[in-house]
Amino acid sequence: MADEIKALFNQRLGRYQAAIALEPTDRIPIAFNTTYFAEKASGYTYQEIMYDPEIWAKVEIEFAKKYPELDTFRTNLQWSPNWDVVDYRLYKVPGRDITPKSLQQFVEAEYMKEDEYRLMIDDPVTFRMERYLPRILGEFKERGSIRSYMAFLKSGMAQGIVGAINRERGARLAAEVGMPQPVMGNFAAPFDFLSDNLRGLNGIMRDMFRQPDNVIEACEALLPDLINRALATADPLKRYPIFVATHKPCFLSPKQFDTFYWPTFKKGVEMLIEAGYTFRVFLEGNWGPHWHHIAELPRGKVLCDIDNEADIFEAKKAFGHQQCITGGIPNEMLILGTPDEVRARVKLLCETVGKDGGWIPHGGGHIPEDTKPENFRALIDAVMEYGRYSDGPPPEPKSNPNIPPGVKLPEPRVVTPWEIKKAEWAIPGDEELIKKNWERLERMAYNWLLSW
Amino acid sequence: MTALAEALRDLNEKKVYELVDKMLEQGASPEKIISECNEGMVAVGDLFASNQYFLTELMFSAEIMKEVMQKLEPLMESSGVAERSAGTVVIGTVKNDIHDIGKNIVVSLLRSHGFKVVDLGVDVPAEKFVEAVRETGAKVLGLSALLNSTYPEMKNVVEAITEAGLREQVKIIIGGTICNETVRKFTGADFYANDAVTGVKICKSVYS
Repeated sequence: MADEIKALFNQRLGRYQAAIALEPTDRIPIAFNTTYFAEKASGYTYQEIMYDPEIWAKVEIEFAKKYPELDTFRTNLQWSPNWDVVDYRLYKVPGRDITPKSLQQFVEAEYMKEDEYRLMIDDPVTFRMERYLPRILGEFKERGSIRSYMAFLKSGMAQGIVGAINRERGARLAAEVGMPQPVMGNFAAPFDFLSDNLRGLNGIMRDMFRQPDNVIEACEALLPDLINRALATADPLKRYPIFVATHKPCFLSPKQFDTFYWPTFKKGVEMLIEAGYTFRVFLEGNWGPHWHHIAELPRGKVLCDIDNEADIFEAKKAFGHQQCITGGIPNEMLILGTPDEVRARVKLLCETVGKDGGWIPHGGGHIPEDTKPENFRALIDAVMEYGRYSDGPPPEPKSNPNIPPGVKLPEPRVVTPWEIKKAEWAIPGDEELIKKNWERLERMAYNWLLSW
Repeated sequence: MTALAEALRDLNEKKVYELVDKMLEQGASPEKIISECNEGMVAVGDLFASNQYFLTELMFSAEIMKEVMQKLEPLMESSGVAERSAGTVVIGTVKNDIHDIGKNIVVSLLRSHGFKVVDLGVDVPAEKFVEAVRETGAKVLGLSALLNSTYPEMKNVVEAITEAGLREQVKIIIGGTICNETVRKFTGADFYANDAVTGVKICKSVYS
């Protein structure tokens, strides 16, 4: 990385990290999590970007060059062949199922039946292999068929390719334009994982009334696996926050949230914070009835994206003293409004919620694809004009690959533990060499099982 | 408020079914049972509107009501009672959006309040909405969406209804969390609703 680009990368990351930590920096960062505007403005269709990693990287690099004031941004997409090889049914894919110009869209349903809690809790591997995956992976409909074996083989390879694509794009953004990432890796609240992927909103709604104990037990059972999935996908240097998209709290009463959602979510987030990680959490919908709980989490560790349905000023009052927040610019203002309106809104936010730090401009968790370019420009210019704290420079970025001593993380689960395999071999050589790689691949395969 | 209405208001599912069975045994008419349930449903709507109930509680009330109706409908058919209807509503998620959670909540709530609902599903092109409004003569058309990229499509449907000469006949509601007054004006719709109870209230006022 050329010195100048490296310096730019460090300034941007340092500014972003300082804002999250509620520490002083030179100005309000421009750090968008999901930026669908970048895809739309590129002139490529979603299908072209999602099927061609070269185009994907080009879109992000050109966007970074066009808007050098940005500190970080992300096009929140997937490499679609990874879904195609197994015929993943939870997403409608642009160009394959829906128009090439549309975003991918999630298809929620009751993929887990109401009487399957016991199996899912007691034997998650059998549940997923025998019940869940055949329902959601078209290529696994006929278990044991040659086609299903080939699909699994291709899927393993595809996930390796996904990792390589993401690493390469991230490395190119850093090396060519000095652009860091807004997030790396994924955690999910156990309740969201259960309701989004397995039971659907209708299913979980009935379960909370008819079998509440099973819902609680399922969330507890899912937590260790979700923590391990987060650890496997997070930035090993801990420079970037782990991303969490929360989906269901806006549908829950405070009592339901306190009973079913918060206990396991809090436990998971706290455990990973203790291990040295930070978070970026999209609080989808109106989190107003629940967000006083966010103040319970360690200060300056959880950046929260506030959605349009919630009031950014109320968020600031409720937990803004503990965590940095983003948002406050209505999506419809970016899409239908004028540059003057955007400018006035950003000025107001800079002078209020962003006055002493702790705020980053954003739409409702994302920058909409139909944002007018002149409105996007107005947003950036207004931050440059009204968002200065000092002449700089921003603080140096921090990284720390080590897990602090004494932190206990859940043991990663596997399908075939080493002890079982070992008993099938005599092993005349170095057992450790074989064991280490066996376990690593077992853990990767287990995470694959969880990734659907 | 009757015991049945109270049980429904309190989302006491078992008690609702027990009371319905008991009333049927004692010879109560399905109409009387429905009328008491309606009182409970209105109370649930009020609790939701005053932020005492949340969405999953609203949904569960519609779930209980659906079960009650499944029990009552065969009896109503056999006794030759005409189908109750508070009015007809055509609804669907607009083209290029396949999300249906919000729409389905509105549909089940409308049905539990006695409306006849023509649900066109998701990713519905403008001409389908036009056709359904023309065929049913519905006075309310609901356009649902989750994605904010659908603003132009919602506007397109409103214009297609106008071009088909149906605009005077039908009130158009855009619904979903992405809707507000700015979006309503842009699309040319008559109303917007951010939640299902507001949507049902608008339908009731159109048909009152």
